[in-house]
Amino acid sequence: MTSISPSSHVAIAGAGLLGRLLAWRLLRGGRRVSLFDAGDLDTPPAAAWTAAGMVAPQCETAVSEASIYAMGTFALAQWPKWLAELDAEALWHAKGSLVVAHPQDMAALNQFRRDLEHALGEQANLQALDHAGLHHLEPDLAPGLRQGLYLENEAHLDNRELLVRLLAEIRGLGGQCHAHCPVETAPGEIVTPGGRQRFDWVIDCRGTGARPRQPGLRGVRGETLHVRTSEVHLSRPVRLMHPRYQLYVVPKPGHRFVIGATQIESEDRSPMSLQSSLELGSALFTLSPAFAEARILEQGVNLRPAFHDNLPRVTQQPGLISANGLFRHGYLLAPAVASHVLARLEGDTQLPFRSILDVRPLQEVSP
Amino acid sequence: MTDTPNDLVLYGERFTSRFLLGTALYDSPAQMQEAIRAAGCEIVTLGLRRQGPAEGHGDAFFGLIRDSGCRLLPNTAGCRSAREAITLAEMSRELFDTPWIKLEVIGDDYTLHPDPFGLVEAASELVAQGFKVLPYCSDDLILCQRLIDAGCQALMPWGAPIGTGLGLNNRYALRTLRERLDVPLIIDAGLGAPSQACEAMELGFDAILLNTAVARAHNPPQMAGAFREAIDAGRRAHLAGLMERQQTASPSTPTLGQPFWHGMTQG
Repeated sequence: MTSISPSSHVAIAGAGLLGRLLAWRLLRGGRRVSLFDAGDLDTPPAAAWTAAGMVAPQCETAVSEASIYAMGTFALAQWPKWLAELDAEALWHAKGSLVVAHPQDMAALNQFRRDLEHALGEQANLQALDHAGLHHLEPDLAPGLRQGLYLENEAHLDNRELLVRLLAEIRGLGGQCHAHCPVETAPGEIVTPGGRQRFDWVIDCRGTGARPRQPGLRGVRGETLHVRTSEVHLSRPVRLMHPRYQLYVVPKPGHRFVIGATQIESEDRSPMSLQSSLELGSALFTLSPAFAEARILEQGVNLRPAFHDNLPRVTQQPGLISANGLFRHGYLLAPAVASHVLARLEGDTQLPFRSILDVRPLQEVSP
Repeated sequence: MTDTPNDLVLYGERFTSRFLLGTALYDSPAQMQEAIRAAGCEIVTLGLRRQGPAEGHGDAFFGLIRDSGCRLLPNTAGCRSAREAITLAEMSRELFDTPWIKLEVIGDDYTLHPDPFGLVEAASELVAQGFKVLPYCSDDLILCQRLIDAGCQALMPWGAPIGTGLGLNNRYALRTLRERLDVPLIIDAGLGAPSQACEAMELGFDAILLNTAVARAHNPPQMAGAFREAIDAGRRAHLAGLMERQQTASPSTPTLGQPFWHGMTQG
């Protein structure tokens, strides 16, 4: 494998979270970078813009694949370092997360706890809270919520501010940014409507934009509600367990809250359905009735890129690396996936998280 | 094992498996596919109400279900009126090229209790349109009779409300259904443990339809295998003929000749 050299020019297709992280890291390493996106860069069409920005390895392990836990704990350590380099520590909130259920749905909370303890065994780090403990942590939660679980080691970040910050850094470091420029990728080549451009390396991280050429990749619809109110204050993400759906609310700067997310096996990007709006809205209202007069700022809809096992994949040919399938775990998995891709470019033999991210052994895809 | 023909016959078609599996709630499509294989089922159900099916938005996921090789039984989960269910059934017939439909009309959002009136109304119209209707219903005898009157040739009464895992909530009603109704009866919903599925099969029900108990297990393929064996055991026990329960003990080994004081000195 030819690894990257100091003078290498790298093209990145897709300016979502992964594309921006990789562009920034490569520019910091002194490489030349061209970043392409089919959409706008200031309000990007990326799933990362719609997402809520939780970094919750325990919660997500309980509700999805167990193998994401290691990558998620890596993210908990890596984000603060990168945010410090960006001089953006304030975007990181290591305040844990809460999981609650209404009294009639306690079975759902117990099930969550069992799933978590089964998936993580000794590593499970959770604290059962009674009414006083719960309302001590989050005084604005509805008084009817009597029990909860506190997962102290989890975090969330101000994701939109991060994406904006990364773009500013990329531009500041001399990265070439091409908005509204749909491309196709090929080994060592970016194909634009205007023609082909040669690069030393091409990294394809377009998410669902890589469909249909990326085999086995599908989109999974997710809907989020963005609201603003100064009547409620939350310090950390709160997840509501319910027999049929699990929704969460994540506090954002400026009295904003993101409530998400539905998960529907559909590649429909059309606006939010009334049913989803009711589900998200009632979940929010029951967490705290003071949300009643919150203003709805936005109804987000996007497609999570996923492979059939809902785990990310990194594939490689000479001059082309594809990283995709972060599903509902963008901010949780991006540090691990980005570190893996960067290690590949450097020609490292020890690739982090290789057993999860590799589709095939490296020698089979290298020349 | 008896030689009695053991096929499940639904609308004239024969199936060797008596285990039907739902395709929702798994961690990933890969896990769902493994569970389907472990269950050995020949029929899987799938919901399409929220997928935007008419525009083809669900095709990627439906393709992963199709890969199982099982017969697809589309359902009308999420429909709250007969009209909604009929419209969705018509769409699913076009989409999946099948007249089979698992008919759900939900009357109560929290318990997902079927709406008996909407169910009979929708079943009547769908049967008239040539659908092969498998209605998800409660264990009410008269409702079940009305559904058969409407032309349903198989019914799917609940064990308990969807997702509860409570098992056979009303054995009296379920026994009555089995005794009185002469169509295939598939217990659908409410089962949480293989023992409950086994009991339903012992009672003479024809098949079991599950989703949550498998999908929400820590190891769904393993749980699917456990249910498969329990369903098979229950079916074989039913065919073999269960003994009647007795009020008094009846030793299986003759005790004649045993000294009478022997029992007195034990523990």
